[in-house]
Amino acid sequence: MRILVVVQRYGAEVVGGSESHARVVAHRLAMVNEVEVATTNALDYWSWAPHFPEGESMDGPVRVRRFAVTGTRSPTFKDAERHVLFEPHTLADEQAWLAMQGPHTPGLLEFLRREGKGYDAVLFYTYIYEPTAAGLPLVAERAALISTAHDEEPLRLVPYRALFQLPRAFGFLTPEERDLVHARFHNGHIPNEVLGIGLDPPPWHDPEPFREHYAPRGPLVLYLGQVSEGKAVDELLADWSRYRAAGGTGSLVLAGTARMQIPKQDDIVPLGRVSDEEKYALLEAADALVLPSHLESLGIVLLEAWQVGTPCLVSAKNKVTTGQVARAHGGASYGPGAFGMALAAVLAERDTLGASGRAYVERECTWPAFDARLEQLIDLVAN
Amino acid sequence: MVVQRYGDVPGGAEAHARSVVQRLAPHFAIEVATTNSTDYLTWKGDLTAGLDRVDGVTVRRFPVERPRAWNFKLYERRAFRSRHTLEDERAFIDAQGPYAPELLDFLFRRGRDYDHVLFFTYIYYPTVLGLPLVPERAVLVPTAHEESAIGLAAYKPVFHAPRAIAYNTEEERRMVWRRFRNERVSNEIVGVGIDVPAERNATRFREKHGITGPYLLYVGRIGVSKGSRELFANYERWRASDPAHDVSLVLIGDAETRVPRTSGIIHLGRLGEQDKWDALAGCAAFVMPSLLESLSLVTLEAWAAGRPVIVHAQSPVLAGMARRAGAGLAYHGPAEFAEICELLIDDPALGDRLGRSGADFVARTYTWSRVVDSYLDLFAEVRARLH
Repeated sequence: MRILVVVQRYGAEVVGGSESHARVVAHRLAMVNEVEVATTNALDYWSWAPHFPEGESMDGPVRVRRFAVTGTRSPTFKDAERHVLFEPHTLADEQAWLAMQGPHTPGLLEFLRREGKGYDAVLFYTYIYEPTAAGLPLVAERAALISTAHDEEPLRLVPYRALFQLPRAFGFLTPEERDLVHARFHNGHIPNEVLGIGLDPPPWHDPEPFREHYAPRGPLVLYLGQVSEGKAVDELLADWSRYRAAGGTGSLVLAGTARMQIPKQDDIVPLGRVSDEEKYALLEAADALVLPSHLESLGIVLLEAWQVGTPCLVSAKNKVTTGQVARAHGGASYGPGAFGMALAAVLAERDTLGASGRAYVERECTWPAFDARLEQLIDLVAN
Repeated sequence: MVVQRYGDVPGGAEAHARSVVQRLAPHFAIEVATTNSTDYLTWKGDLTAGLDRVDGVTVRRFPVERPRAWNFKLYERRAFRSRHTLEDERAFIDAQGPYAPELLDFLFRRGRDYDHVLFFTYIYYPTVLGLPLVPERAVLVPTAHEESAIGLAAYKPVFHAPRAIAYNTEEERRMVWRRFRNERVSNEIVGVGIDVPAERNATRFREKHGITGPYLLYVGRIGVSKGSRELFANYERWRASDPAHDVSLVLIGDAETRVPRTSGIIHLGRLGEQDKWDALAGCAAFVMPSLLESLSLVTLEAWAAGRPVIVHAQSPVLAGMARRAGAGLAYHGPAEFAEICELLIDDPALGDRLGRSGADFVARTYTWSRVVDSYLDLFAEVRARLH
């Protein structure tokens, strides 16, 4: 089968959850199909500045077609966005917002219109950007939308009213995303597949040095990811200090690029970015992983923690991660003020919860299980 | 209901829209959103914008902000080239009009206050740009036929996004499915009902307009896109080669193309409903030369009046309907046209037999009770998914 994946940015060096998912899917599908990717020449999503050369290149077995972004993101975009999200505005304002957000790539859209019918299936990644919002309608009859939707303000905007009625099938990351989309767009009659993700087995890693270092001070609680307010790490720090003030012991280790101020105190350890081996060593050494973010669409780090048998603690404000933890029975979620209690509960049952999480990923996140769901999605689209 | 023109305007789709509104009005609180124009060639704003009432139904007329582009044909040519761009398509949709952004703004703000939004005709600006604003409650009545425009990518969302589609005929549905592969959109072949007046008097028509002898009848817009020129040529050739048959060709409707002053061709202009039915009752046969029909109301009316219909074999809808009804004869070219005319003139019993079959077909299929039930079913399905 000939399959096209459309995504706003693409490449090994591109950072982003949906972009990584798109690349994984392209490579899995390429094992038995002819797979191409249509994308832009941008590396980042705030300027869309040209980075990759335009035109065709190969990413392993995947043929990549890069189209130029015409114009970088407007400096007034944030004002325009605030206007359409929070102030009285016109239909034209909402329509203009989409092009301003970018990446504006007329070449990609013309390619879809002219060449789209040559593919048996076209998979669109991320509902929000113009390549999907303006591109999917051009090949609706052969399109799958992997929307990676959150409950966020832009989902209400006019460019998406029809978009969510058009595809032949949806690929969702989680059941929570599916429920959100169905409730918002009343489109439950369009077939869908909950894809989740597949994971490679962890690389060689050694948790012992971390264990030896942190164990004497009490439990090791790990946060792994971007250290920023956007990921609600500020809330985590507040919860942690309440937990400590109430007599809780242990260390909070923050592994990831810091984008905010971190208080200098002995029990809070910022490690910065860590290697893959260090990551798994930390995950295995930790007594619990904590993910406070409100806006995770999958929470891959939870799955990685379960791979090495570590339970997880997630914010109850995030339906997706809360749902993941409940399905895997691999941890707990905490509401406001309940962090300490939830942590104590998870620590008391660390091994049982960790083993249950491990069984869940071994069932759901192996490559054969993921490939089967992906194939199901392709079957829904191509006929 | 959203439709490009509404009220006392010519046009089959517009008449269709109005009769559907009238029949649905007892079942729903219904309103019409349309433009302030009656003229699809210019879209000039000849009516007052704002609230209006037609047949007791609230009509919201939104201003057409620019007339149809004077060089519209140029936009058409650009968009219909094989190597056109998406920008050419967008420019074509705006240039074709009726360009009424306030109608879109109304749908954007208020569309969700309605349980259902029925869009009439797929091709114009109000539907192309309006339907995507309320897709989860939209029912489309495409009235589509094969033409260049339907090949544009701009129309894909129109056929994929609505919650349901009410087709006019089996042929229309087949054509749309082939082009768009949108079979998964709920749909029904709905069409229209035909109201037949109790009294039809051919003698009254003949006396009023001074028509003697047998006549072929055409009712509708007289224009190139309706196949009128070909009809004139076929008629003239037949009469020239066969002067023994003294049969006139009576035309009712506005002429957009020149009507030849050949003897035998009688152009009466636009007439009232009763005149039309009287004319239908008296014709030897009704002639429908147009290739581009999604549903020909007047053809159904001719059958309802018990008369046979001569159609062009290359119109899939009309030829298909004539075959299903067993009530018409289809021609491929001038020779067959002449042969069919002679046959029907020489054997009036044949024409009567075909006409009776047509009347049965219409009474069986094109009744308002069936049409209204079909709409109610489609709407119920839409509501079931919305709540």
